[in-house]
Amino acid sequence: MAHVVLTDLVKTYGNFKAVNDVTLTVGDGEFVALVGPSGCGKTTTLNLIAGLIPITSGEIAIGDRVVNDVDPKDRDIAMVFQNYALYPQKSVYKNLAFPLQMRKLPRAEIDRKVKDAARVLDMTHLLERKPRELSGGQQQRVALGRALVRDPAVFLMDEPLSNLDAKLRVQMRSEIKRFHQDLKATIIYVTHDQLEAVTMADRMAVMKGGFLQQYDSPAQVFAHPVNMFVASFIGSPAMSLIPVEARTVDGRAVLTGAEGWTMALSPLNARKVRNSTTKKVVLGARHSTIKLHRNAMPDAIPAKAYTVEPTGDVTFVQALLSGATVNISVPPNVVVQPDEPIWLEFDQERLHLFDGETEIALMAD
Amino acid sequence: MTTATGLADARLRKKAKREGILQQAWTRRADYLYVLPAILVMLVVIAYPIYYTVDLSFFNTPPGLQLRDKVFVGLNNYVVILGSDVVWRVTVNTVIWTFFSTVFSFALGLGSALALHRDFAGRGVMRAILIIPWVVSAVAASYIWKWIYHSDFGVIGAVLVGLGLAAHPPNFIDSVSTVLPSLIVVNVWREFPFAMIMLMAGLQTVPEQLLRAAKVDGASAWQRFWHVTFPHLRGVSTVTILLLAVSNFNSFIIPWIMTGGGPSNASHIWITHIYELAFGRQRWGIASAYSVLLFLILMSLGYFYVRALSSGDRKERGA
Repeated sequence: MAHVVLTDLVKTYGNFKAVNDVTLTVGDGEFVALVGPSGCGKTTTLNLIAGLIPITSGEIAIGDRVVNDVDPKDRDIAMVFQNYALYPQKSVYKNLAFPLQMRKLPRAEIDRKVKDAARVLDMTHLLERKPRELSGGQQQRVALGRALVRDPAVFLMDEPLSNLDAKLRVQMRSEIKRFHQDLKATIIYVTHDQLEAVTMADRMAVMKGGFLQQYDSPAQVFAHPVNMFVASFIGSPAMSLIPVEARTVDGRAVLTGAEGWTMALSPLNARKVRNSTTKKVVLGARHSTIKLHRNAMPDAIPAKAYTVEPTGDVTFVQALLSGATVNISVPPNVVVQPDEPIWLEFDQERLHLFDGETEIALMAD
Repeated sequence: MTTATGLADARLRKKAKREGILQQAWTRRADYLYVLPAILVMLVVIAYPIYYTVDLSFFNTPPGLQLRDKVFVGLNNYVVILGSDVVWRVTVNTVIWTFFSTVFSFALGLGSALALHRDFAGRGVMRAILIIPWVVSAVAASYIWKWIYHSDFGVIGAVLVGLGLAAHPPNFIDSVSTVLPSLIVVNVWREFPFAMIMLMAGLQTVPEQLLRAAKVDGASAWQRFWHVTFPHLRGVSTVTILLLAVSNFNSFIIPWIMTGGGPSNASHIWITHIYELAFGRQRWGIASAYSVLLFLILMSLGYFYVRALSSGDRKERGA
């Protein structure tokens, strides 16, 4: 296993910058997820690390070796693809043996390694089958096995679960996590599904438009998103982002909404708001940090229930505030009717404040 | 849905076995009605000529007599054919012609398809140029090549002499030893674009991710071709080779126009030989017997063609 260091990585296609000055370090044995919406540059970054496409500038180091000009096969990496990319004409055994054959290992050693990998992934009984005779989950396990037999320094995984159905995806998610724990493998995992990133990764790199937005542990990214994009991308349902205006009333910092309501800020939050470039501020709150009241309360903001979505475990209530949809979760025994007047109380400790112009999270001095 | 139709199919098959073929035809009479017009046309333009050819192959048709004065000779025509020296000469020629034309057309087609599969400046133009031989009329091409090969005025001869590689222009199509290879070159030139087009279509079905996976797995360019690309082309290759083989076996225009089978039968293949016997020497009976034999050979090739096609279907259904 090895660590991976990307330094000022750039990939341009003509005038289009697909990857923009990405710098990050993946520790030895660490599971890192590259996550972001389609076209954010995450798969391009992975292909750059694999050497499948040439980099425009910057540096990639695997272990202590700079691999900018090294062939994919000599980078000591293994890759798992979204469509499994199994060789359809070869049996499972031959699929697993292929990378070893290409490295001209002795036949006995190939046999031992293939059978070991098959045992680890519990597919010894599938070795003689062709890929088309396997289910999607089994095919993905073979793809994982083909990466495993190589015993590479780094595993690169490109959306390996997105072709599976929802139930299988959850199952394979825990299998890959277990795989990582058992092997202590360095894994770089690309996904557009923030849930996969949050549940599996030690650290996640959130990308947008070719830029690395935030690189931290899932808990940190969840609790302290650096900007509005990260805030809205991580977490489900998404964080509610309400455009408001910062004012001072009777010497106290407050936020006022388009409907005319005001919300007093705690001293810490007041200090944060002072750092905003303009008066425009965005208030962010996750569904679980907003309390819903049926009656008027001091510090609670009046609103009207827009839709009500019971999911069984929790019920989500949506309300409109300052033109933004606000998500609130309530216990399933709380029955709210659409259009019913409600009052929302925001948890000052856990609310997020963003600069309305730059969209960057506001910090206290 | 699939299971439902599957069950229905199984039930129908069971029923069919019990009912017998006639009753089955009757219960499905509407289906037969739909294909009837096509069957009638086939009967008139294919079945009757086949029957008539088989019939004619049992008769002697002396030149100068009218066709209705033919004389029944039983299997004598077949005995004559199988005992003649010419038939072996023509058969060997046909095998050489078919085999080498097919192999070289396929190889050249595969090479150019692979070359044109990568993106490079001027690819569209190259593709258009390479398809020209295939769209040029075979008759025109034959005459052009006849001039190219010409021992007095041919381009190739002139170039060879000009470069000092030959003392005098070679006799490509007037010499027994070089005529067949020379004609094969023309044939390959004419039909390799067909293989190229087929294989180019096949190449587009090779998944990019598989090639990338093979690259990461450590396969060289040649290994990627052998382990990923070529297996994907197997189906289309089989079909292409069979179609090429059948069309080469049936070639007529190029050898007939360029040499007419000469010199001294050195470039006669079955089709040109049959044509000459029938329309040149009015020996309808012998020519018909030849045709019947050719028909049997081609039918067995056709059998493999259909099997190759339907094995692809089976695989897909199994997937």
